[in-house]
Formats: sequence, structure tokens, C-alpha cells
Amino acid sequence: MMMIHAVSRRRFLAGSSLLLASGAMLKFGFAQSAPQRGGQLIVAADSEPRNLNPAIVASNGVFFIASKVVEPLAEASFEGPDGLAPRLAVSWSGADDGLSATFKLREGVTWHDGAPFTSQDVAFSAMNLWKPLQNLGRTIFKDLEAVDTPDDLTAVFRFSQPTPFQLIRNALPAVTSVVPKHIYEEGDIASNPANLQPVGTGPFKFAEHRPGEYYRLVRNDAYWADDLPQLDEIIYRVLADRAAAAGALEAEEIQLAAFSMVPLADLARIDQVDDIEIKPEGYEALTYQLVVEINHRRRELADLRVRQAIAHAIDTDFVVKTIFLGYASPATGPVPSNDPQFYTPDVPTYPFDVARANTLLDEAGYKRDANGTRFSLKLLPAPYFNETRQFGAYLRQALASVGIDAEIVNNDAAAHQKAVYTDHAFDLAVAPPVYRGDPAISTTILVQSDLPAGVPFSNQGGYSNPEMDALIAKAATTLDPGERVALYKQFQAMVKADLPLINVAEWGFITVARSSVQNIGNTPRWAVSNWADTWINT
Amino acid sequence: MSLAQRISRAPEAIAGITILICLMLVALSAPLLFPGDPLAISGTPLLRPFVDATHWLGTDRLGRDVLAGVVHGARTSLLVGLVSAAAAIVLGSVVGTLAGFAGGLLDELLMRVTDAFQTVPGFLMALAFVSTIGPSLMVVVTAIALASWTAPARLVRAEVLSIRERDYVASARAIGMHPLKIAFREILPNALPPVLGLSAIIVAGAILTEAALSFLGLGDPNRVTWGGMIAEGRAVLRSAPFLSIIPGVALVLTVLGVYLAGEGLVEATSRRSRA
Repeated sequence: MMMIHAVSRRRFLAGSSLLLASGAMLKFGFAQSAPQRGGQLIVAADSEPRNLNPAIVASNGVFFIASKVVEPLAEASFEGPDGLAPRLAVSWSGADDGLSATFKLREGVTWHDGAPFTSQDVAFSAMNLWKPLQNLGRTIFKDLEAVDTPDDLTAVFRFSQPTPFQLIRNALPAVTSVVPKHIYEEGDIASNPANLQPVGTGPFKFAEHRPGEYYRLVRNDAYWADDLPQLDEIIYRVLADRAAAAGALEAEEIQLAAFSMVPLADLARIDQVDDIEIKPEGYEALTYQLVVEINHRRRELADLRVRQAIAHAIDTDFVVKTIFLGYASPATGPVPSNDPQFYTPDVPTYPFDVARANTLLDEAGYKRDANGTRFSLKLLPAPYFNETRQFGAYLRQALASVGIDAEIVNNDAAAHQKAVYTDHAFDLAVAPPVYRGDPAISTTILVQSDLPAGVPFSNQGGYSNPEMDALIAKAATTLDPGERVALYKQFQAMVKADLPLINVAEWGFITVARSSVQNIGNTPRWAVSNWADTWINT
Repeated sequence: MSLAQRISRAPEAIAGITILICLMLVALSAPLLFPGDPLAISGTPLLRPFVDATHWLGTDRLGRDVLAGVVHGARTSLLVGLVSAAAAIVLGSVVGTLAGFAGGLLDELLMRVTDAFQTVPGFLMALAFVSTIGPSLMVVVTAIALASWTAPARLVRAEVLSIRERDYVASARAIGMHPLKIAFREILPNALPPVLGLSAIIVAGAILTEAALSFLGLGDPNRVTWGGMIAEGRAVLRSAPFLSIIPGVALVLTVLGVYLAGEGLVEATSRRSRA
């Protein structure tokens, strides 16, 4: 009876969902077959970066706007070989000795001011911006010696030390935004007006910025890809208040809010609204991790058993379900599980176990006093996201359950960075580091020792492990991709065994958009890609 | 007619004082009603009010009990309100008495300092102070006191200016009393009543400023505050409005209670002086 009931129920559900699916398919199929040209896309923006030059500031806040104007050599892709799709470069290869990399560039590309794009621009950008000025390029191109330009469409990067081509390739989308030499060659690069009014080769031209109101980008009619872009205009409406984004979407004042501008807690409600859709796709190569940074200068925290106890005291399941409302997954280590090349689940784990945590702390010699407290420490949650602050509040409770009294110190973004990464005035901190497709780009720096104070998002907790440093150094100069991957798998296991920091969860962002906006989330870095094929179904 | 009798004739004073006494009782008994950390995660997140017997007013995004938060929040609000108002009145009275009694250069100096503080909007000053030094209970109290001592200072100075010409002050001088003793023993006590009338407004203002600071994330993060609760509820305002409404109502009641009680007191004392 039960069985029959269940079957009939399932059949009913299957039938109804098939019906729904076919309707959606019809609509989708129609949409796919006939992209419409023209129209204006209005997007919510939550910040106005002080510098819009992605060749200097490679950050998501800058890319969100500038990636439509300034293009990299290659962009991340779901289908392309090595997860890449060509942009300003059409092909690339690395020498076997790791001392050079050759890029063939696209023909017939012009800058927005009409000047032709050549290998000179690539060489100039690499030597004068990416290597000396860019936050990420400084590390990746530290051994870049020169860029040869045998002809207008070939650029050969020469390195003084063997540099893994796999790393260069993985870094292409984020670090290789090419800017025009003829605009930047005179005067101080950092104060060039094009840093605020970017000139590029991309599908959209920068038109204007009204501070506090909007950015306007217009269609580049001379774009190298025929018939693209689809849109005539993109407007970024500045909505400083994140809570306003949901309302603006419902009122059709904006058509798209990316980077989880609509708070996670509001998604369930807004999903019920007709003609508004929630898209978690398009952030696969922009995975953030929720991490507990540890100051190893504190005697208690220098003890591995105490760090293990803290890891055991955190209920990852609660963090994922309650703080992230399911829009996240538990982190097993410093490389997120959606990374196709380096990830390994084969690492030590610390399941949620308060009793085990208490035993470890007892063994470490930190007994509870009359108030049930073993020791006190300062906890600094990063203020960048709601979730990092909420996790701070949760962590305080989780620590209290094992007898550690944590005092929360709240700071604004600037004060938080100074306190953690310059002054080291913390015991524990909550940080959201980004994983950028290769552990050598922005991940190994989180545990490597001997970094100068003041480098943001790096190991400033005083952790120093010669074995770890040796492994990182070896991987950085290993050229064979297979061997490199094996070394980084070893790295993940070592991080989890020694706990220089605790990786708790990983998450991508959510885009919320009107149903009329098409081709959302079709690349792994969609929110910070060029949106050339985005169109509006009227 | 005694003061108590006069107060009992003013219904708004009775209402105000009743509210305040209830709040004080709640605040004082918070550790008994809800022992332990009110920020502790104690249940399923986002329970609605009046559906769960253990969480009468529901739970917030993380599963913290709203009622425990409101009750412990009353402690923070009243503590900050009373302590910072007291500090503001003491500081203001001292400055006002010194300026009014000494006159001359000291008066000029102290009044220009008062002017300087008065030209900066009080809330902005508290905001700047807390965001520079970092939020903790002491800093918030100091910031609010710094932002609200000028009104009592001016009022006390004006009173002192009129009192210092009275006969009993002249006789105190004649018997050779120390000027500071005259200022603080003879003059200040007589200049205080109008300032106490102002105190209700200062307390109410202090409670609101504390709530506003916490709302902006500049309250002490290790304590429950109503402003902080309202701010946290804001993210789910459309789906769980009770998280913001409940502490909001508590805030309104408190400020109303303080204001009504203060008003009633002023009324009662002025009736006495007329009588």
C-alpha cells in the first residue's frame, strides 16, 4: 500500500516536473536559438573602487566593472582545454626548461581609441604593470626577466628561474589584463587618468562614472568578435546598502545583482517572486574559503593539540546549514573541492567532537578554572561579509563550549587589516581568502613563513615550519604538471595535519537576476568576465 | 502635599515610573531568568515567537533566544544610559559651576571649549570616538558622555551666574569660606534642580545613541544590545520582521518610560515651587 502510494506520488511528481521542464525547455530553446541584440542591462554595484585598472589591482571588485573593458590574454571556461578560452592570445605554450613562454596574439584587434593592439602592449603591461605593481602578478612574475616581441603578434616571456607553465596558464584569467602602451608609457603609471577611465580592447567601452550614482559602459562597435557584444549598454547602479538590492530587483530598477548582494537569508523569499531567478553558477573559479587564522605567537595556540581541539570544536555542518543557509560546503583543506586539478580529499580530518576537544585541551595542560575557563583570547572576525561576522559570533560560542573564552573585537576593513596583517594584534581571526585556480597564486602564501609584516591576506600569524616552506619552495619550481599536482596534494595534507590555520567552509556567490537576462553563469568566472554574450529577452 | 503625593496625581509620571521599575527589575533579574551567555546558540534558528515554549519570543538567525537577548539587552541599555548620563551631568555641572563662579578668563576658556563641543553634532562625535578607539562598553559610555555634557554645563553656568549674587553667597564669602567650597557646597546644590529636569532627556538620548552605535556595528560585540539585535534582524526584515520589531519595541518603551517619568518629576517639582 505504502509502496504503491509512494510510486504514484513519485510518478505524479515526475510527471509534473516533466511538464514544467518541457515548458522551460521550450522557452529556453527558443531563447537559445534567437539571442536578441541591443538593450540596456542595469546591474547593482556595491563599491566604487579607487582604481579601476585590473592590470594593477587584480581583485573581484575591480574586475566586476573593468573586465568588460579591459581583456586578459585568456579567460576561464567550462569547455576549453585546460579550462581556458582564448581572448587576446589565441595560443600559448611553455618551453620544457620553464625559462620561456610564448603567446600568439589575436589579429585585427584595436584599442577603444582606434590604435592597433600589438605584442608591444603585452610586453609593456607585463614588465611595467603586472610584475612590479600588481598584487598577484608580483608573485607569479617575480622571475620574469623580459618579454621579447619578435613580431607584432608574438610575445615571448623570458624567466630568470624555471617557472611552471601550469601556474602561468592557471593565472592567465586573473593576472594578464592588457592595457595600452601608448596611453601608459608617459608619466606615472599609478596616477594615469586611464586608471579611472579605463581604455581596453573589450566588448564595452568605458563611458562615464558619476560617483555615488552609476558607472556607464557602452557597446564597442569595433569589437574583434563579430556580432558581439549583444548589449548596447551596461549601467552599474551604486547601491551602497546591500539590503536595497532585493527591493530594487523586485521594482525592476535593476535587472541583476551579483556577488550575493541579495543577502542569503532573503533568497528563499525572493525565489518565490515571479520573473526573478537565483543562479549559483558562474563563480566556480572564484571560490572563497572561510578560514580561522591563528596567531602562533600565543603560547597556547602554538600547541598543536590546542589547534586540533579548536578544529574539533567547530560544527562545520552548522556553519554550512545555518550561517550559509546551505549555499556553501565544508572545506577539507586549503584547496576547494571544486578545483579540477589539485584537490585531494585524502587529508586528516577533524570531525565535530566536543568531548575530544576537551580531552585534547586537558592533555595540553590547560585545565578549566573555577569559572570553567581554560584561557582567554581575542577573536577578530573580518568585517567584509555578513557570514564572516556571523561565523565570528558562532566561533565564540563554539570555543566557550570547550572552555576557551573568546572576546570578539570588531573593526572596520582598514583597521582589521592593520590589526591582523601589520600589528599582529589578534589571537584568532576569521578570514575569507580566495582560491584562484592554482595554490601558488594566493594560497601557499597563507602558511609560508618569513613574510614581511603588512602583506595582506598572508601568513602573519607567525607560523613557521621549515618542512612546509621546503615543500612550497619545491612545488614553486617543479615544472612537470603531474609532479606539481602531487606536491600540492602533499601540501594540502600537511596543512591539515599541522593546522597553521583551520579551513572551515568554502562558498561561491549567488547571482539574482530578472528572468529576462540570458546567458548568466556560463563561465567559471562569469561575474568578472566580459559579458559579451549576455542578452536580454524582451 | 508631599512630592510622592504630587507625583501620584500625574498619570504620565505613574506610567513612566511603572515602566522604568519593571525594566529595572527585568534588567536586575536577567542573570536569574536567563543564566549563562545570552549570545549562546540555544535552539533551532529562526523560530517564530509564541510557537515554542522554551523560546517564547523565538530565535534569531543563529538560534539565539530573542527573549534572553531582550532581557540582557535591557541591562546594557539601562547601564549605558544611566552611567553615561550621570557622567555627562557630573562633568557638565563641574565645568558650568567653575565657569559661572570664577568668571573672567576661566569662564571664557571653558565656554569656548563648550562651544567647540557643541558645534560638532553629538552623534557624529560619539561615532568618530568609538570608531577610532574601538568598540567596548567603557568607550561607548565615554563617547556618549562626551557628546552630551555641554547642555548641563550651559544650564548650570546660567544658574550659577544668578545664584552667586545672592546674599548667602556673599555671607559665605564674608566668613572667609574657600571659593571652591562656596562653589560646590553652596552654589552647585542650588543650581542642580533644573539640570535634573534635563537628566531624563539626557538618559533617553544616551540610550538612543547607544542603540544607534550598536546598530551601526559599533557597540560592544561581546554584549547583547537592542541596537545590535535590530541591525542583525535587518538582513531578514522581510522574512522574519519580529527579530527587529521586538527589540525595537523594547527600545521605544524604555525611552518613553524615561521621558514620561522625567516629565512627571519636573511637573511635580515645579508644582511644589509654585505652591
